[in-house]
Amino acid sequence: MQKFFSSRKLVIVVVCLIVSFGLMSLSVAIRDRRSTPPLVQQFGNDIVGFADRIVAAPMNGIHHGFVSTKNLLNTYQENERLKSKVDQLTQTQVKDQVLSRENKQLKRQLNVGSTLTGYEKINAAVITRTPSSWASQIIINKGQASGIKKNMPVIAGPGLIGTVAEVNKTNSKVVLVSNTAENSNRFAIQVLGDNSKVVNGIITSYDSSSNRIIMGNITSKAKLSVGNRVTTSGLGGVIPKGIYVGTVSKVTQDDYGLAKKVYIKPAANLNDIEVVSVAVRD
Amino acid sequence: MKRKVPIAIYFVIGQFIAFFLDGSLSQAMSGVLFKYPNSMVPYLTVLWLILAAFFGNVKKLHLYTWAAIIGFIFDMYYTGLLGVYVFIFPLVVYLCQMVYQILPPNFMSGFLVYFLGITVLVSLGYMANAFIGETDSSVAQFLVNTLAPTLALNLVLLAIAYFPIEALYRTHRQ
Repeated sequence: MQKFFSSRKLVIVVVCLIVSFGLMSLSVAIRDRRSTPPLVQQFGNDIVGFADRIVAAPMNGIHHGFVSTKNLLNTYQENERLKSKVDQLTQTQVKDQVLSRENKQLKRQLNVGSTLTGYEKINAAVITRTPSSWASQIIINKGQASGIKKNMPVIAGPGLIGTVAEVNKTNSKVVLVSNTAENSNRFAIQVLGDNSKVVNGIITSYDSSSNRIIMGNITSKAKLSVGNRVTTSGLGGVIPKGIYVGTVSKVTQDDYGLAKKVYIKPAANLNDIEVVSVAVRD
Repeated sequence: MKRKVPIAIYFVIGQFIAFFLDGSLSQAMSGVLFKYPNSMVPYLTVLWLILAAFFGNVKKLHLYTWAAIIGFIFDMYYTGLLGVYVFIFPLVVYLCQMVYQILPPNFMSGFLVYFLGITVLVSLGYMANAFIGETDSSVAQFLVNTLAPTLALNLVLLAIAYFPIEALYRTHRQ
């Protein structure tokens, strides 16, 4: 049997390791610093993205068929339940309309142009998902060409699902809130507590074993209880105010007993995303 | 008479289809595959590469080059983190081919070697991700919630794909 680690092989292994670590550090540095990846990578991703659409279309079609059938079976029960909510909804909608008109008028009177709440949506379809346990990422079919920029929040169904992490010309990567990486998803949120007191904070981590977003380091004395609604606070950057994140499911003390730690149940189902909208602040 | 399409063409096209199916499966079945707290990751790309190493001619197919190329595209398109799978894919293919040569060529040894290959692949992937802080799961969590389900899924996929792909390479060997 030949010697496994001949000196030539050893050299190759060492060189490969060095190059690997170099490339990894480089791509992390680039990802954190720049809004778009280098042009070559962008170009490559665009081409692969186009090819992927050809394969992904039939797969997503099949998936869609299954989901539709499942929905059909649930229709009756759902219909019963929803009927009871319809009356309530119209009432809220009308109220919402009146309030937003009033809001606009008041803003005009006060000469306030755009506030933190205003945003427009860019709709996009999901092409594919990263096959990896750790990088909870999806790839959507809109990019720089449609006006998407890095760090914009992404909404699916009822609430926030993540932020845009990498933008190519015609597709972009969205990091879901279920990503456990140290440097992702630190966005500012607020809890509407009891007695309509507002507690501000940021998302600090994600608990993958129970599917909960964790908001740590809260020193406010305001009382929070299970079921309180959580929205984005619009502070610090590109994320608009008032995007629904989820509801409080547990409030505990942190490891040192000094600050509170709030567990939030995400509103959107992170494992069933077909269409998303990217929120662009006015 | 119809001219036979060379196996290398099948190999390359199949490889790209497997690559895109990885992502599409993860997307379409994400409710099942990534159900909390477990995550099963399909590695059809690696399945295709390793089966090519088992049945095909490694030199003629330029297998290591293709493994590196598809690894690079995987890094660039799916994870956005360069320099991980570009080295892991060829390494796993190399290891699997070396071990498979020693064993008698049948399904059981293929199964065993693939088991080892996926273990090495997922473990190295975990190490790379832990190194840059992409994951914070502990080794115990990784073993139970990621490695075990991923192995189960991929071995099922191997059992499905083994004989059809063997037949494909056999018909092209004459």
